Amino acid sequence: MNITRRNVLLGATAAAALGPIAARAQTSEVVIGVIYPFSGASAQMGVDAQKSFETALDIINKNHDFDLPLAKGEGLPGLGGAKIRLVFADHQADPQKGRAETERLITQEKVCAVIGTYQSAVAVTVSQICERYQIPFISADNSSPSLHRRGLKFYFRAAPHDEMFSAAMFNFFDAMKKKGAKIDTLSLFHEDTIFGTDSANTQLKLAADRGYKIATDIKYRSNSPSLSAEVQQLKTANADVLMPSSYTTDGILLVKTMAELGYKPNAIVAQDAGFSEKALYDAVGDKLEGVISRGSFSLDLAAKRPMVGKVNAMFKEKSGKDFNDLTSRQFMGLLVMAEAINRAKSTDGEKIREALVATDIPGEQTIMPWKRVKFDEMGQNNDADPVLLQYIGGKFVTIFPPQAAIAEAVWPMK
Amino acid sequence: MPVTAETIIQSLASGLLMGLLYGLIAVGLALIFGLMDVVNFAHGEFLMIAMYATFFLFAFFAIDPLLSAPLVAAALFVFGAVVYLLIVRFAVRAKANAGMVQIFSTFGLAIVMRGLAQYFFTPDYRSVTHSWLGGKTVSVAGIFLPVPQLVGALVAIAAFGGLYLFINRTDFGRALEATREDAGAVALVGIDKNKVFALGWGLGAALVGLSGAIMAIFFYVYPDVGASFALIAYVTVALGGFGSVFGAFAGGIIVGLVEATTALLLPPSLKAVGIYAVYLLVVFVRPRGLFGSM
Repeated sequence: MNITRRNVLLGATAAAALGPIAARAQTSEVVIGVIYPFSGASAQMGVDAQKSFETALDIINKNHDFDLPLAKGEGLPGLGGAKIRLVFADHQADPQKGRAETERLITQEKVCAVIGTYQSAVAVTVSQICERYQIPFISADNSSPSLHRRGLKFYFRAAPHDEMFSAAMFNFFDAMKKKGAKIDTLSLFHEDTIFGTDSANTQLKLAADRGYKIATDIKYRSNSPSLSAEVQQLKTANADVLMPSSYTTDGILLVKTMAELGYKPNAIVAQDAGFSEKALYDAVGDKLEGVISRGSFSLDLAAKRPMVGKVNAMFKEKSGKDFNDLTSRQFMGLLVMAEAINRAKSTDGEKIREALVATDIPGEQTIMPWKRVKFDEMGQNNDADPVLLQYIGGKFVTIFPPQAAIAEAVWPMK
Repeated sequence: MPVTAETIIQSLASGLLMGLLYGLIAVGLALIFGLMDVVNFAHGEFLMIAMYATFFLFAFFAIDPLLSAPLVAAALFVFGAVVYLLIVRFAVRAKANAGMVQIFSTFGLAIVMRGLAQYFFTPDYRSVTHSWLGGKTVSVAGIFLPVPQLVGALVAIAAFGGLYLFINRTDFGRALEATREDAGAVALVGIDKNKVFALGWGLGAALVGLSGAIMAIFFYVYPDVGASFALIAYVTVALGGFGSVFGAFAGGIIVGLVEATTALLLPPSLKAVGIYAVYLLVVFVRPRGLFGSM
């Protein structure tokens, strides 16, 4: 078609006529931006996250008989039954791409809230952009403690951060020592972005406070082609516990290299990430019998709360996997955000923020072992109790804290 | 960490084994560059599909990577030749901006291959869970030599030896060398330049295919796996001297050793720094690379 003045005029008139309809149509739909790595080394995390968010979306937008926020009835009743639509953006694990994509989500896609991001390093820039545009951001699965301490008003995290996770690990060590286990020295092994660095800093501080000796503290470059030099150093240090903070690729390579160099630690207590990933256990699970990882989710909970098993089945149908620590937190992230938007009765950023500040969801209305969801003045939920899980016989069982445990820890690993 | 004689020897041994493999990966790149002055920016993706091929042969037909290595190398040979005939052949003919056209044709191929791998194989991390060599280790006087890397090193030496003989002792090899020296002149004596270039691409791809098959034993596979190895391969080729097959192989060994030594002396997160520092030093002193002749 040739572009003539007449056509332009016609188009403009049509657009003007359709304008009010479009404006009205917007209220029947609430758009939320979801920003994850969908390509690059962590692309699988994004793919799994997408399935998790779609499961939560299904629960919000359709009628379900679960005791979860917005499960009953369709859509958001506070906005006249408006449905939520998710717009997925790919940050490729790159903080700068995260920044650009968030800006695009807010200005082009007109999202009223953002959820992300897997990598904490990316959450830093994404949350800054959200702050600038006054759009609430939920850090669904980022665990770096420094994230919520930057005084951002639009930053919220329903899940625990690494200080809470690490404290659980050290509480566990203390408890094991009381029972007579020998735990004096620790080896830290962490990747070199904000996740690994924050995790190690927290562990260093806790170790000093509670009188554990750090045998070695290895910061390594993520996605290295080889980890043999690093493993060699871990082997020389031979601490009572190895504490890795690694994403999946490095975790697989670490475990393979450990086997090759003949390093068998007494115990591994991992800071989740790669060590909660099915791919890692598919690859090297046979070498990981007895590994302990922190988590905020455990399928054991299904015994007490049957809906956990049912929601997990919904997710499994989409993804072929059980919920893990990451996907469960992503799922809850969207539910918490949607619940706040519903109470805000608005898609205005400031109103949603106010609703988030007032959030108070009891633990029984989540799929997590949390006490409740209630944010402090920094936007952090301090009632998100972490658990420790041990990989026994091909699955994870909860071993700590005692009130959540269903089995005794096997110590040492083998 | 206490630096003992044992840790030094262990680090050097690990570095040497890894370096031989880096060398094998880089040799294919150097061969193609030496032959026709084209840098294959999809080299890492060639490695990636070789690893996937090895993984799938293992997953579906339970073929051990050691057995599938020749199959994968043969398949990559065909793939490399086809890439030349379908893409590179036309890219080098470009009249304007020939350099850019070449770069973007193989660079584009890399992105397409990565995208297709992500689409068809999903971005999940795959791994050959058990193999004849996997997880086995030889221990000599407290020094651990992982069997997969040890065999990889032997394969690398054998492949390099084979390539050397092929280039120097066969008619095809001589045609390859002649074409590399003067592609215009060989046409006059009746050698089909395209055939020789296709053979060169096939050989280069077969070598990286061999590396991929061996690496699948001890490394994980996912669509982006080629990226980090390809970067090392480019540095290796530049360090050893552009176009020099021998230089690429020696460069690989140097890179492996430098990487291991740096990790001993500096925090491991900085171990790549050593590689690039040595590279910068070489480029500064000898811009054509250690064994470069141009």
